[in-house]
Amino acid sequence: MSHVRIEGLTKRFAGKPPAIAVDDLSLEIEPGEFIVLLGPSGCGKTTTLRCLAGLETPDEGRISLGDQTVLDAHGKINLPPNKRRIGMVFQSYALWPHMTVRRNIGYPLRTRRVAREQARTRIEEAAELVDCSALLDRYPAQLSGGQQQRVALARGLAAQPDLVLFDEPLSNLDARLRDQVRAQLHELHARLGFTAVFVTHDQSEALALGDRLAIMRAGRIEQLGTPERVFEEPATEYVAGFIGMSNRLPLRRQGEGWGLADQPGTDDPSGAAGQTGTAGQPGATGQAVAHELPVPRSHSEISARLRPDDLRLCPAEEEPPDHGVGLPAEVVDAQFGGRHMDVVVTVAGNRLHARAPLTGKPWARSLSRGQRVTAWFAKDAAIYYDADGVRTATHAPAAAVGA
Amino acid sequence: MTAPAVPAPAPTTTPPHPAPAHPTALTRVRRHLPRFGALVFLLAIGYLVIAPLVGLQRLAFEDDARGYSAAFDDPDMAATLVRTAGLALGSLAIALVLGTFLAWAATRLPPRLRLLRVLPILPIVVPAVAAVTGWAFLFSPRPGYLNAALRTLPWWNHLDEGPVDIYTLPWIVLITGFGLTAFVYLFVSAGFGNINAELIEAAQVNGSSAAGVFFRVTLPLLRPTLVYGGFVALLLGLGQFTGPLLLGRNNGIDVLTTDMYVAVSQSPVDYGRAAAIGSPLLLLGIAVVLFQKVILGDHSRFVTHGGKAFRSGGRPSWVAVTGIVLYGLVALALPLGALVVVSLSAFWSGRITPSGFTLDNFRRVFQESGITDAIVNSLTTSVISVAIALPLGFVAASLLLKGRRFRVIRAAVDFIVAMPLGIPAVVFGAGFLLTYSREPFILYGTRTVIVLVYVTLMLPFATRMQLSGMVSLGDTYVEASRTSGAGALRTTTEIVLPLLRPTIAGAAALMFVLLTHEFTASLLVRAPTTQVMGTILFDYWSNGSYPLVAAIALVMTLVTSAGVFVAMWAAGSDIFEKL
Repeated sequence: MSHVRIEGLTKRFAGKPPAIAVDDLSLEIEPGEFIVLLGPSGCGKTTTLRCLAGLETPDEGRISLGDQTVLDAHGKINLPPNKRRIGMVFQSYALWPHMTVRRNIGYPLRTRRVAREQARTRIEEAAELVDCSALLDRYPAQLSGGQQQRVALARGLAAQPDLVLFDEPLSNLDARLRDQVRAQLHELHARLGFTAVFVTHDQSEALALGDRLAIMRAGRIEQLGTPERVFEEPATEYVAGFIGMSNRLPLRRQGEGWGLADQPGTDDPSGAAGQTGTAGQPGATGQAVAHELPVPRSHSEISARLRPDDLRLCPAEEEPPDHGVGLPAEVVDAQFGGRHMDVVVTVAGNRLHARAPLTGKPWARSLSRGQRVTAWFAKDAAIYYDADGVRTATHAPAAAVGA
Repeated sequence: MTAPAVPAPAPTTTPPHPAPAHPTALTRVRRHLPRFGALVFLLAIGYLVIAPLVGLQRLAFEDDARGYSAAFDDPDMAATLVRTAGLALGSLAIALVLGTFLAWAATRLPPRLRLLRVLPILPIVVPAVAAVTGWAFLFSPRPGYLNAALRTLPWWNHLDEGPVDIYTLPWIVLITGFGLTAFVYLFVSAGFGNINAELIEAAQVNGSSAAGVFFRVTLPLLRPTLVYGGFVALLLGLGQFTGPLLLGRNNGIDVLTTDMYVAVSQSPVDYGRAAAIGSPLLLLGIAVVLFQKVILGDHSRFVTHGGKAFRSGGRPSWVAVTGIVLYGLVALALPLGALVVVSLSAFWSGRITPSGFTLDNFRRVFQESGITDAIVNSLTTSVISVAIALPLGFVAASLLLKGRRFRVIRAAVDFIVAMPLGIPAVVFGAGFLLTYSREPFILYGTRTVIVLVYVTLMLPFATRMQLSGMVSLGDTYVEASRTSGAGALRTTTEIVLPLLRPTIAGAAALMFVLLTHEFTASLLVRAPTTQVMGTILFDYWSNGSYPLVAAIALVMTLVTSAGVFVAMWAAGSDIFEKL
């Protein structure tokens, strides 16, 4: 366990033009902390991890693990991976097929010259930690995917490295196994308290595992915070979109209230035509939809972000409650999802996704294409972003919202 | 989770922190060590491959390029050039058509007969000298067995000889084409393997007939393979030596390679002229290698065989089975059969007399010290060369794959290693003969010079096969080792080498086979007292001791087959596809 400090890390890949994979990234990791780097593919999260491991040669920056400077681009220091006290777990497991599980787990101990007897007990301890004691004398090819990944985990932890790096270790597993191994990993971290950096593009994985999340975009950290904070208060629209607020509604100030803004490139051909709502056109552009929103006066163009859970549906003739914003909408598609319906509606050319609960109110079950409904959301359930995608100043209450 | 509670391990077991690194003079030297090592390696293989070629060209340009004027003022030269091109293009056409057909046929075999797939490869097992002599025993105008048989047919029964004269250009082209077919088959089969089965199935579902699928989908998809394989086959055709030497030389049917051989082996020996004769081949070889590196770039090398393997979309075809069996009969059974018959006979005549069969020829093979010495030489030089070529190839492959830091060195190694594939062996043979017959290394007549030639010729194979093995191994095994705390050396010995073992074994066996076959370069660098199997066979051929020639050819074939079996056992039956 040790403090990890990354300062000004920059990595460019040669090409025309050169691609900046990591852009002046700084991050401090406390001892025992579990940091998750979350982002879509190509955002630089894996490159950052590989720089920490010493598998890439960064162009700029410093990295220290504990009191050891492992990278200093100016001082021409870039220690090879084997000179850093790390462990790493790979997406493809990377268990060496010609070695038994015991030799695989023992390899990092052998390279670090741990005495034979001690290594023996530590291999068995590590295997026990991940429930693989019975597999020690098998070869990787004889193991299932979940077993292989658990062995890989044991190998990464066996030498008790200062820092354990995880490169999307769960994404090759099928959904059920993924949940199992994830739970096991969470428990292991709670028990052993190793410092970890975990790369993933799966938001539920990130929320479940991380002490802190770093949402990455184009080689930079867009938001760094606890899972609760990132989930409830995404700082930018990009983070909101990534963390599950998939519904986006552009709004424009109209006198005292707010109306739906133009949606360029709308998929509804008549959407741009009407200035006021016409009979054949639900929620046309320019229609006033709300009087007050918790947004500072200085903003005139905003977008509201909503989780599907927070977009409610009711029959067209019903009025939404006072604290809600009602939108005339048309159903595009409705899918049965067990306890809820997944409904896609259009509001002035914006496709919105609603998750309508089926408990108690069977009305949503009968929704069909072309049906007029009212979609509404509570004003404080949405988060509002300005034209640059930055959250507007007035804070919505951080209380849990949603169904 | 059911694991018993284990106390969190005490942090004291972590190894002590090493002193923080400061760039000292020592570390600065160490940082440049890899570059220095790569440079030394480049110089070593550079000398090995290029020095003989440079030596030849220096001679050719001496005295106002006297070598060139001697070679190209010769009135026969134009005819020789045309003949060489004709031989190469003609045999290429035959090989492309036959090889593609066989590769297609191999995908259409019924499951029970899948084993027939290896049949088109088997002719590689038969050394070229053995195959050519076998054909001569069949189609020699007067005593050829098949000619004698054909003369019993009513419309040919008035003939005294023929109807086929194998000692003429068309037949040399045909036999050379047969020899190249196996190579094209290998390339195209590998190409078929890379075609996603679903592409074929999609074409069928969309209403194409079998022929339509082949011409509209399969063949266009194979085009890159055919172009690349065609270039290799063209180079091989241009460098063909065995067929023209054994069949055409006595009738004055010379090509560049045989001309070159004559210039260095018969008095007056004229290295300058020989070098000049070889220059068109040298230039073309270099051009093709450059073309391949520049145009195809790195891409072709790093293609991985992902996706679904080629499953013949179509039903088993009896045309396919018949075609493959027929080819096997003609290309393999006929020449080998002729060799067996002649080797068992006291002398070679057009008539087969089973009652007179004897094993005397084989007894002589194992009694005459010249022949046994040659066998021993072949085996020892081959084994030693393989043992040297493998580590060289490993270093070269690692450098090509990982040496992004030294771009110039890497590009040079890439080029040098490919040269022996592009430049005919006869050019290398002449170059080595010249270079190692004088200061500073006088090695003429030793086995060392044979080993040097063999190592050079095997560099492309040793490198390419290990490179493709490393590529398919991927980076993560190595990265997992490095992040587990292992240095480069331990990673190589404990992870890379064990994982590459099948590849290395396969490469070793294949090179052993190619080297025990080797005839062209061996013939140039051998001395009367230092022979290998191919050259001693040629000597007996020149003396007219045909039954003995047949026996030696069969022994060669057996040695090679043993090598192939070891290869398949060590590396699985698909080793040839890794070329």
